[in-house]
Amino acid sequence: MKGILKVTGRNPEQALRDLFAGWLRADRLSALLVPAWSKSGAATLALIADPEKMAETSPLLPAMAVNAASVVHQLARSGAIGQRVGLLLRPCELRGVVELIKLRQVLPDNLVMIGIDCAGTYKAAGFRGIRKDAADFANKHVRNQTALTGNSNFRLACQVCEYPRPLVFDLALGWLGLNPDKELWLEAATDKVKALLDGVKLVEGEEPKPRLKALAAFAEQRQQAAAGRIAELDKVMMGADNLVRYFADCLNCHNCMRVCPVCYCHECFFDSATFERDIAEQVRIAQRKGLTRMPSETLLFHLTRMNHMMTSCVQCGICEDSCPAGVGLTILFKKVARNAQAEFDYVAGRSLDEPLPLTTFREDEFQTIGEG
Amino acid sequence: MADFEPRIVGFLCNWCTYAGADLAGTSRMQYPPNMRSIRVMCSGAVDSVYVLRALLEGADAVFIGGCHPGDCHYVSGNYKARRRMVLLNAIMKSVGLDDDRVWLRWISAAEGRKFADTVTELTASIKARGPSRFRELWEV
Repeated sequence: MKGILKVTGRNPEQALRDLFAGWLRADRLSALLVPAWSKSGAATLALIADPEKMAETSPLLPAMAVNAASVVHQLARSGAIGQRVGLLLRPCELRGVVELIKLRQVLPDNLVMIGIDCAGTYKAAGFRGIRKDAADFANKHVRNQTALTGNSNFRLACQVCEYPRPLVFDLALGWLGLNPDKELWLEAATDKVKALLDGVKLVEGEEPKPRLKALAAFAEQRQQAAAGRIAELDKVMMGADNLVRYFADCLNCHNCMRVCPVCYCHECFFDSATFERDIAEQVRIAQRKGLTRMPSETLLFHLTRMNHMMTSCVQCGICEDSCPAGVGLTILFKKVARNAQAEFDYVAGRSLDEPLPLTTFREDEFQTIGEG
Repeated sequence: MADFEPRIVGFLCNWCTYAGADLAGTSRMQYPPNMRSIRVMCSGAVDSVYVLRALLEGADAVFIGGCHPGDCHYVSGNYKARRRMVLLNAIMKSVGLDDDRVWLRWISAAEGRKFADTVTELTASIKARGPSRFRELWEV
């Protein structure tokens, strides 16, 4: 089932709030995870159970504090047995959830994945002041679509993101390439959402051509932006000396790992006893080299994290947002993730059916490797 | 560079390559003494972190030896090692590191000659390349 959802009163956010509140009222969902403004003015996420509280949410909010896939991981580690929980997710968050499902970190049985178009987000940390004008902030954002692709105030990851629409979902909502004051795109992909759409008035039909055209142009422009950034990065990052310099400010705090939606281990290998060196060993290393950096093995941490997670990296850039030392992880991870995933013809979050590259193999592949 | 002796860390699978190295030794085959061998139960057990740690700590090359495809003692460990090597190569290339310093080779327990020849070839190749830059960079 797919088609146009009519919007009244030039208020697409309200149309979505009404739709969601109806699901909670009719008990078709127990709760829904939605972007929201907190009372203190922070752009954050809320798990809404009371339909009357839907007014506090901002489904189209273009600000990202965390990748919501991390929150879903927290929510659905052991399944939401008997309770049906909806998740309103941006494409990168949805791709993160898809990876977590494949990594057996999220049990999707009672989750309803609702994807929504995203043209880019602002850093949530800089968002507090905007609260006073919040009533129409998100509506304005989706209304003025000409300024979106090249918006240099977006988070860097968003400026180079070529995935404006959800790829895997139970239900998708769209506003790009449409006039969201009048209409939104709605598409159901699984039986899970049949009950949700019961009674929803939809002008059924194929996706409007202008929307498809706008989405394609969007992706192309962003791919160009990404190529430009990667070319700039290569000038300062490639090779042993540059790489060491690139990560020189790393504090070894591991924030990038902790906020990463797909870095799922309860205890990171780097927090394990393997990396606890006693003083004698540390001194021995210093004696061998003459001197050694402390804290040690910061570059090893990043290169290993790449090896462990790169096939699942959804390029959301939340790692860079969390870095107190300002290490430029976004474009670096974008480049490395693309190259790594391309080797296996894999795109993180593209499909629930494609196996994770490191959990599978074929006998008749990569036959030159190991043959010298 | 004539006096440069490469330091190579080798991870050898218990069932094939380690036994192959043993055969090379008991058969008194000559090969360069540049490799420090570490016996592991399977090439599939070698996480990239150990390869990277060796390289960043200044090893000039890392060698991983496993059973031939189809012959893994654990059925599929070497196929997984192969995928991991593809990933490691892709990542090293993406950040401009020399992935020719990491070799994966299939050497069976019967291939003592192949083991000796491979270590000879690897040592010569690294001698030609010169020492790893990470030897000089203490702040890695």
